[in-house]
Amino acid sequence: MRVDGAAGARFDEVFDYVVVGSGAAGATAARSLASTGRSVCVLEEGPAIDPKAFGDDSWGAFKTMFRGMNGQVARGRAFIPVIQGRVLGGSTVINSAIAWRVPDDLFAEWEALGLADALPPKELHRYWDEIESDLDAAPTPPEAWGGFNRLMRDGAKKLGVRADPTRRYASGCKATGQCLTGCPSGAKRSMLTTYLPQAEAKGAVLVTGAEARRVLIKDGRALGVEGRLSAPGRPSFRAMARRAVVVAASAIQSPILLARSGVRSAHLGEHFMAHPGTPLTGLFDAPANLWRGATQGFDSTHHRRDHRVKIETIGLPPEIVFARLPGAGRRWKEKMALARRTAIFAVQTRAWAEGSVREGPFGADIRYDLTRRDMMQIRRGLRFAAELLFAAGAREVWPGVHGLPERLLPGEEGRLDAGPDDPRCYSWILSHLFGTARMAARPGAGVVGTDFAVYGVSNLVVADSSVFPTNLGVNPQHAIMAVARLCAERLAGRS
Amino acid sequence: MLSPRDRAVLDALLPPGGPEGLPGAFEAGFEDFEKGFAADAPLPMRLGWRAALAAATWISPLLIGRLPPLGRLAPEEREEALCAMGKSRVYLIRQVFLLLKAVTSFGYGGTRAVRRVVGYDAS
Repeated sequence: MRVDGAAGARFDEVFDYVVVGSGAAGATAARSLASTGRSVCVLEEGPAIDPKAFGDDSWGAFKTMFRGMNGQVARGRAFIPVIQGRVLGGSTVINSAIAWRVPDDLFAEWEALGLADALPPKELHRYWDEIESDLDAAPTPPEAWGGFNRLMRDGAKKLGVRADPTRRYASGCKATGQCLTGCPSGAKRSMLTTYLPQAEAKGAVLVTGAEARRVLIKDGRALGVEGRLSAPGRPSFRAMARRAVVVAASAIQSPILLARSGVRSAHLGEHFMAHPGTPLTGLFDAPANLWRGATQGFDSTHHRRDHRVKIETIGLPPEIVFARLPGAGRRWKEKMALARRTAIFAVQTRAWAEGSVREGPFGADIRYDLTRRDMMQIRRGLRFAAELLFAAGAREVWPGVHGLPERLLPGEEGRLDAGPDDPRCYSWILSHLFGTARMAARPGAGVVGTDFAVYGVSNLVVADSSVFPTNLGVNPQHAIMAVARLCAERLAGRS
Repeated sequence: MLSPRDRAVLDALLPPGGPEGLPGAFEAGFEDFEKGFAADAPLPMRLGWRAALAAATWISPLLIGRLPPLGRLAPEEREEALCAMGKSRVYLIRQVFLLLKAVTSFGYGGTRAVRRVVGYDAS
């Protein structure tokens, strides 16, 4: 059953479980909980979009499916856009559906933090097996590579470095390069088209246009959630929970909701971690067809462990590519005319930086500053990306870094390594967000315990990447889903 | 609503003519996009857009040693002034220039006319 808060009037119901958020974590938890036969309500602030309505209009997608129309930024020395979905299905509707299991070396780090039993590799691998089967995860097939993905393969082969077709939940990908707008071809297995309808089929109620404002807590026990619907007049709603409230609203919104609800912890909203990324453009002699191929169909983790960087291809529509091209006037248009012959390799780093998230006057107040070590990693990553692009045949690369030349020629890759240390000189995006309600084995060290329950409040759990004790260095949707599944199974007493 | 000074900025940023038949901003229908943007975009984004247009009008000429507004300058100087924003030592000026280009790109690169010229095939 679905309730559209944009059209609805006052809503006041009682369920066994109330799940806040419908993305990778919320949808996975809701599906697991609904399968126990208990009543489940999923609250989503954004709208429900019919997948048939997905098109190729990026601005239209930003307006309807992105938080703040993609205008959300983290503030530090640099302003960094923070990308999040705000739609039924959350960021899984707008991301590239990448399936990475948590690498073994990360599990060793978690074990060192005393979380080996809380986040057991064996159990998580069992869930990953199931999720991969449910969502048809597979390496991007050659027919979906297109020109720009193939270039990474060619470059890596020449250099003898590791690069692989990205494992994604997009079997039958039509290579339209439109993951960002929801996947008009319908190949992407987002939560909107998979786990949410499955939860609904098991009786879950999906309420869209429902902004959770507060978890109702009385005498140390969570009773439900109250908030506002997006219908005219912003009528209020209440979804009461007999058994538990599951917060799965993301590492930005979850700590804000918990703080607003009266949860107090020195760690709440702190330890905000991410994977900052920056692009490098290569110009080739022949068309690379940047907008024809799986959006992120190839990646190189060759330097994931030694330099904490991952390099990935990215296909984007012209309107997004153009904004980053240098110049103005005729010079800008000359670059636009060359765009078809460009490929973009994005460098993301497993940053050391920790920031914070608070509620601000215009939404989340996100503070985040890259450290010197992060900058060193990024510069190295840009150099590796340039080496890949040149090895693949690029005649020049466009760093887009203030203080470096507009273009670098083969043999000049080293200039990227010696680039500026100041994050304000680079173009960034921040995705993959973690840690703002982190799990810890004892109350003074985190917000939730090893059972995902908020310390000091019963019947209140956090199921999303807020609980992650570290960032990952790889795309997190798969990890988030398995961890949310673990949380839900424990909540239901099945794990 | 775009003022004549705003239009001078956008005309300098994406002038008519040029390589491979790419249209100018207004030939591509940017004005319609801008109306929608002004109506729909969140307040901080709208304020940023207005600040970017104002910076391009009043600050960019100063970066090349000319007096504002931008519309007083010869076409080549307008382009030079805008390019100077992108290379400015002041981070905020570079950021508002990036915002100016980002919003303009959406209303330009997203149009069928431009996509056809650059070979974008969405099918």
